[in-house]
Amino acid sequence: MTGSLLITGLVKRLKAAGYQELSTPFKVASVDFEFTAALRGTAGRGLDLVLIVDTATGDHGDRDATKVRQRVEALSRALDITGSRYVLTVILAGASLRGDIEALSATCRVLTIEHAALDRAGDPIGDAEAEALDDHIRVLLPLDLRAEDATEALVGDPLAELLSALPVTVDKELVRAVSEASINGEDAVTRALGARLEQVLSEEEQP
Amino acid sequence: MNDILLRHLEVTNFRSIKGTIQAPLDAKMVLVHGENGAGKTSLLSAIELVLTGRVISLQRADPQYMSQLLHRSSAQGAADHGSIRLQTEGMPGENNFFADINQAGVQTRATLTDSAASFFSERCYLPQSLLGQLLQIYQDSDSAPDSPLSRFVTELLGLDRLDAIETGLAPVADLRNLRKTTELYGQVEFEKSQLERSLAEHRRTRDAAQKALDVALSELNTARSALGLSDAVSEANFEGVSTELQANPEEAVLSDFHDRRRRLEAIAREANRDADAGTQQDETSLAAAHRRASERLRVWKQQFEEPLQSLRTRIAHVLPDVDAAPLGSREYQRVALASLRERKKQAGDRSGRAAQDAKRQADINDELLAARKNLQTIDDEIARIAANSGALGAILAELTSFISNDTCPVCDRNFGELDNGSLSDHVNHKVRDLSGSAERLLGLTRNRSSQQEQIDRLERESAEIQSRALTQKDIIDLDRQAGALDELISDLERVGPAMDDGEALAADETAARRSLSGYQSRNLARTAAMATLAEFASNLNQTALDPLQTTQQVVVQLLTFIDERISAQNLRIAARSRARDALGQARVEFARRKDADDRFTAEQTTFRSADNALKRAARVRADAQTIKNQVESVRSRIIGKEFNDRLNRLWRDLFVRLAPNEPYVPAFRVPTESTHRLQPKLITTHRAGGAGGTPGAMLSAGNLNTAALTLFIALHLTVSDQLPWLILDDPVQSMDDVHIAHFAALLRTLSKQHRRQIIIAVHDRQLFEYLKLELGPAFEGDSLRTLELSRGLGADTLCLPDRRSFRHETALRFVA
Repeated sequence: MTGSLLITGLVKRLKAAGYQELSTPFKVASVDFEFTAALRGTAGRGLDLVLIVDTATGDHGDRDATKVRQRVEALSRALDITGSRYVLTVILAGASLRGDIEALSATCRVLTIEHAALDRAGDPIGDAEAEALDDHIRVLLPLDLRAEDATEALVGDPLAELLSALPVTVDKELVRAVSEASINGEDAVTRALGARLEQVLSEEEQP
Repeated sequence: MNDILLRHLEVTNFRSIKGTIQAPLDAKMVLVHGENGAGKTSLLSAIELVLTGRVISLQRADPQYMSQLLHRSSAQGAADHGSIRLQTEGMPGENNFFADINQAGVQTRATLTDSAASFFSERCYLPQSLLGQLLQIYQDSDSAPDSPLSRFVTELLGLDRLDAIETGLAPVADLRNLRKTTELYGQVEFEKSQLERSLAEHRRTRDAAQKALDVALSELNTARSALGLSDAVSEANFEGVSTELQANPEEAVLSDFHDRRRRLEAIAREANRDADAGTQQDETSLAAAHRRASERLRVWKQQFEEPLQSLRTRIAHVLPDVDAAPLGSREYQRVALASLRERKKQAGDRSGRAAQDAKRQADINDELLAARKNLQTIDDEIARIAANSGALGAILAELTSFISNDTCPVCDRNFGELDNGSLSDHVNHKVRDLSGSAERLLGLTRNRSSQQEQIDRLERESAEIQSRALTQKDIIDLDRQAGALDELISDLERVGPAMDDGEALAADETAARRSLSGYQSRNLARTAAMATLAEFASNLNQTALDPLQTTQQVVVQLLTFIDERISAQNLRIAARSRARDALGQARVEFARRKDADDRFTAEQTTFRSADNALKRAARVRADAQTIKNQVESVRSRIIGKEFNDRLNRLWRDLFVRLAPNEPYVPAFRVPTESTHRLQPKLITTHRAGGAGGTPGAMLSAGNLNTAALTLFIALHLTVSDQLPWLILDDPVQSMDDVHIAHFAALLRTLSKQHRRQIIIAVHDRQLFEYLKLELGPAFEGDSLRTLELSRGLGADTLCLPDRRSFRHETALRFVA
């Protein structure tokens, strides 16, 4: 952990999300690649390769956008050559020029983060700050579905829900005609109502 | 997490798919590629059709879409049969789905349950049309009921049918609108109101008839009781009395009584001819009365006749013309008294006037003497005044203007010598004296003439008195005559009452004599009349007559009896006639009531049926109202349940994933106030907090697409996963590379970490290749399917499946 506070924070956050930090430099197709930090996903994210570039205080030519791009492109090519299915994501930590980001995007997925409010240990100083940090790298994080407070699935069909909400005394024939007609729009419903009215109006008296 | 999987799809002649294709789907990730028109959308909608029995997106575009499902080949002899067969894995219950398609439509076997089908249509399958709508909602994101957002929410949640029901049932709120839904309603209402009026009319007619019938019956009963028929009849048996009213027995009885009456009247006339209206007296008593009257008259004459006669003679001597009257007559008294008093008054007057005249003559003589003396004095005074004093005064007045000093203009002498003032003063004094004498002369002359007049009048009066003066002898005669008259008057007044008595006694005697003789002549006729009347009475069954009654009393009594009988018979006849009338009236009213009853009964049945029909319609209306009201509450419940914080949080998460640099994130806000139609509102919030504008204003076009796509996924994720499938039809048509990369990462997350089976169709070759790489299997057991659809001109659709399995990565070598 020799990087800046922001790098430390990012790595810490990603590791908490299930990523493994890779020791750098690493070799791909016999080529050494040096990055400020590199992480690899696990399990379902086993093919995610995350590289962190410190554009503010970094070494390895991190502060030179051209050099960064060349390095990433070289890695990408090396992966292609080896037939790897790794998916590259580069996090540019620190200020970057828009043009540089776009250029890099042609090669891989690019995330940027200029600043995060972190304490000395590299943890966000509050919930809002943690959320802000997450927002920058969210695509790398698992979805928090919070299944425990998932709402019960609806009855499903709103029409079915309507039918179940109706009192049993309601004219069944009307309900049937109206719900059948509802698929064809309001005029059809009105016609169905009219037809049902006509039906009851012309009903023969029960002796 | 359950492993519910779509395994295999076989499609034959469905929409743009010609022939039969086999599409293995047994992978967590299925990538479908094909040029436009190759059948990607058909393939995906085939899944919806076979699972749910319908294709919602097609249905919305064309309600008659069912007849368009079969593939339309350009060649003749198009396929007349198609089918879809789908195998699934891990579903509770059915795992084999089949749909048979023909010209008429589709028959499905074993579709999903309703709720699962809805879940599939709403949250698993994103057809392009829905995505298009999602994009559209940002263009105009107000919350009006027909805004794209509202339409989207409506369709997404399947609320369109609820809306259709609510709007379609709107006419129930207003009866006028309700009548428009079916002509029959108004007709039945009209019929009912007609019948109502008609029934009311019948009821009124019936009531009137009933009242008239009651009146007629009570009249009939009154009339019958007058005829002695006391048994009251009612409307049940009144017809039976008609026979008893037929006969007229009273007519004969009445005519008999009329005959008797005429006879009685004849008898009465006969009896009356001789009978007197006065009292009936016995003859002997009449004779006694006559004797008593004669006796009283004789006694009176004895006492008074002599003195009265001498008084009369004396009066006749004074009043020779008052003589002819009979002795003791009241008239004589009156006339004689009046004449005597007149004579006495005349005598008194004449003697009184003679005395007055004598006195007046003496007065006149005195007055004449004084008047003549005065006249002499006036004449003396006049003689003293010069008759020409006035003329001399005038001449002297004219002379004054010629006097300037004391020298006289006439004699030229100096007046001053006299030492008696000035000449002019002297002349002026003289003129004043002369004119004063003239005035006095005028007054004296007037006095003299009035004095002379008085003397003339007195002399005339004196002459008049002397002309009528009586001699002394005449006056004494007059006094004597008046005394004689006084005596006569007092005598006459004294004997007046006796004369009155005499006159009354004479009258009594005359009356008694007349009564006696009248009775004697009458007695015979009365006896005969009474006998006739007695016989008549016995004929009438009347008891014996009272002999003390007069014939007239008897006649009156019998007449009264007969008249009573006649009037009784007349009453009976009138009653019978009334009874007949009442009976006729009762018949008429009875018939009228029956008629009204019949009509009422006949129409009431029709009325009841119309009324019941309307009641049924009203129930249907009320039910429709209930349905309509329920729609509102169900909609509110669904929307409230759906658009909650969890959805917003998920949506934000997904959106930020795909657009990490966008400071504004979209969100729904559900108004808390209850409105007619609860509609969520689309807003944006700044990531650092604070509200932004509407998404359409705040987000770029690319991010709008992102927002739409992530909204659908969020909706899929927001409820517990009944069906862990996401089927996306070309969702990234307008995304740039950056977004696509993020999107691919999201799909990976969903597939690898949240175990969703994802089927995604793309038409872009490059994108297909990219996704194939990006979404490749990442772990043992993970897999990727690719399906490439293609179709040559006129040839069957081809589907080339490919499968990628996981293999270990070896690319990375670590230096350390």
